[in-house]
Amino acid sequence: MTPARLGQDHLGLGVGLRSKHYGHILKQQPDVDWFEIISENYMDSRGKPRYVLEQIAERYPIVMHGVSLSIGSTDPLDIEYLDKLRCLAGAVDAHWVSDHVCWTGVAGRNAHDLLPIPFNDETLRHVVERIRTVQDILERPLMLENPSSYVTFADSTMTEWEFLTRMTEETDCGLLLDVNNVYVSSVNHDFDPIEYLHNIPHERVVQFHLAGHTNCRTHLIDTHDGHVIDPVWELYRLAHELTGGASTLLEWDARIPEFPVLHQEVLKAKHYMGAQLPDTPFADHVEDETFAGAPSSVPHPATFVVAEVE
Amino acid sequence: MSHDPIQLERIQRWMQSVITHPDGIEAAIDSDAARSEIDVTAKDVERVITRSQALDSIERLRVYGNAYYARLLECLREEYPALVHAVGQDTFDGFAFGYLQQYPSTSYTLAQLGRSFPQYLSETRPKRDESQGGPDWADFLIDIARLERSYSEVFDGPGGEDERLLEADDLTAIAPEQWPQARLIPVECLRLLALSYPAHDYATAVRKQHQPAPPQPSLTCLAISRRDYIVRRRAVSAQEFDVLQSLADGHTVGQAIEHAASDMNAEQVDELAANLRQWFTRWATAGYFRRLDVAQ
Repeated sequence: MTPARLGQDHLGLGVGLRSKHYGHILKQQPDVDWFEIISENYMDSRGKPRYVLEQIAERYPIVMHGVSLSIGSTDPLDIEYLDKLRCLAGAVDAHWVSDHVCWTGVAGRNAHDLLPIPFNDETLRHVVERIRTVQDILERPLMLENPSSYVTFADSTMTEWEFLTRMTEETDCGLLLDVNNVYVSSVNHDFDPIEYLHNIPHERVVQFHLAGHTNCRTHLIDTHDGHVIDPVWELYRLAHELTGGASTLLEWDARIPEFPVLHQEVLKAKHYMGAQLPDTPFADHVEDETFAGAPSSVPHPATFVVAEVE
Repeated sequence: MSHDPIQLERIQRWMQSVITHPDGIEAAIDSDAARSEIDVTAKDVERVITRSQALDSIERLRVYGNAYYARLLECLREEYPALVHAVGQDTFDGFAFGYLQQYPSTSYTLAQLGRSFPQYLSETRPKRDESQGGPDWADFLIDIARLERSYSEVFDGPGGEDERLLEADDLTAIAPEQWPQARLIPVECLRLLALSYPAHDYATAVRKQHQPAPPQPSLTCLAISRRDYIVRRRAVSAQEFDVLQSLADGHTVGQAIEHAASDMNAEQVDELAANLRQWFTRWATAGYFRRLDVAQ
């Protein structure tokens, strides 16, 4: 029998580590359960980002989240990249390493986007084979996330949740369930997010992601630039109930607020964890969904680190 | 459609060429590059990409097409804020748009996205009007780009924070007769830039959210390094720059001084000699060198 969360620790409520908050975190040592880092922002760093990360890793549990694994690409896996991932995971003692069920480019190029794959048997075989290779190299638990997507393929022969179920069961990898992405894709692709949540392998959900998105009226875009909206919190409540709970992480990558606002947002998750009562009151009201109506809204799978100059 | 493995590769090659095409999704789908992968037109693209209740296939692909350039332009603007200020965002975006087509990202990290931007600007600069004499507007823009890229590389590249660097007191321990054969080993983050404009002051003003006017041309020699994980830049004299450059290139102290003095008159040589002690002390204080190797 597969144990809940594949036997991985429940780290509690964490937030994504962003350079804007370095000073606050080092000085205030906020009472955050854990941090998730964007792997690519640290794996080559020999400057301040890496220096700060090493200090934070001494005090907080760290999970690594990548955006360039490109597990679904038909380009060869980048072994140098994987070696660097493994080294970073060792250096910060990462609890696990995650990325997305997507591809980021072919023919040697990187679009720096999380591009969708057709859900069919051939793609599944391709992805499963690559996951096994990655697992062998990383020597750490691998979790893959459902990305938000904006197109579907005529070539798809199964649902996203069926693909994820078969993928995780055949490889024994974990699932990073992004609840906001389920909601975004359900609107964009006209499926029922509750059916999605009922049909994923609950015991393989090791981590949750929460984030804000932008409503463009005809579709939603995963912009990570605001508060989590009520329908997503309700999906989180259901996901928590179905899985028994897992490490939960708030992503906020554009129009990033001050750290206390970010922290407060993830603490709201306590309100959706069944009978467990929050020990921190809401700092603000739970916002209604806003209609930004911004067709140029841009998803931010990765963040750019800006140089600090005297 | 069949589902052999080649089909996935074809879909990916097709989709990448469609969403990164500079002329928009419809033109991209009808382009030879896309049709060589999957032979569909914009009218029958639903054979590949299905529609949703709210959007047709073209509109859905456009989400990715819009995001591709928007996201990467945003990163380049963040890396080159002074250049954005100098030319305005629309013109900057035009440069960056051309750059992304000429030098699409091939790296797993966005930190490498802008690495060839100064080179691209040099390659595409308008022909210099020789009758004007001296550096022109394009030189100023290229200077800024070189400077801002150097800042990025120095900020996140290897530095000297974890090692004991050469200190001023170390210099006094060297016997005078050993100096000519000594070599100073620079820290990896030391960058020496000779510019036609004082782009560093301009860039600093922009980062402080001032509204600087473009400066007049003026030969500007910069030593850029990092201390305590912050990039530090300092303007140095042309003489000091020449000696620093020679030392960074691996020449001995004697060779570096000889090279710098080769075109000098007697008065300038005396001035150089008088400055040397002060320079060495300043370089040690700034942490430009890891150690001093003395030939045995």
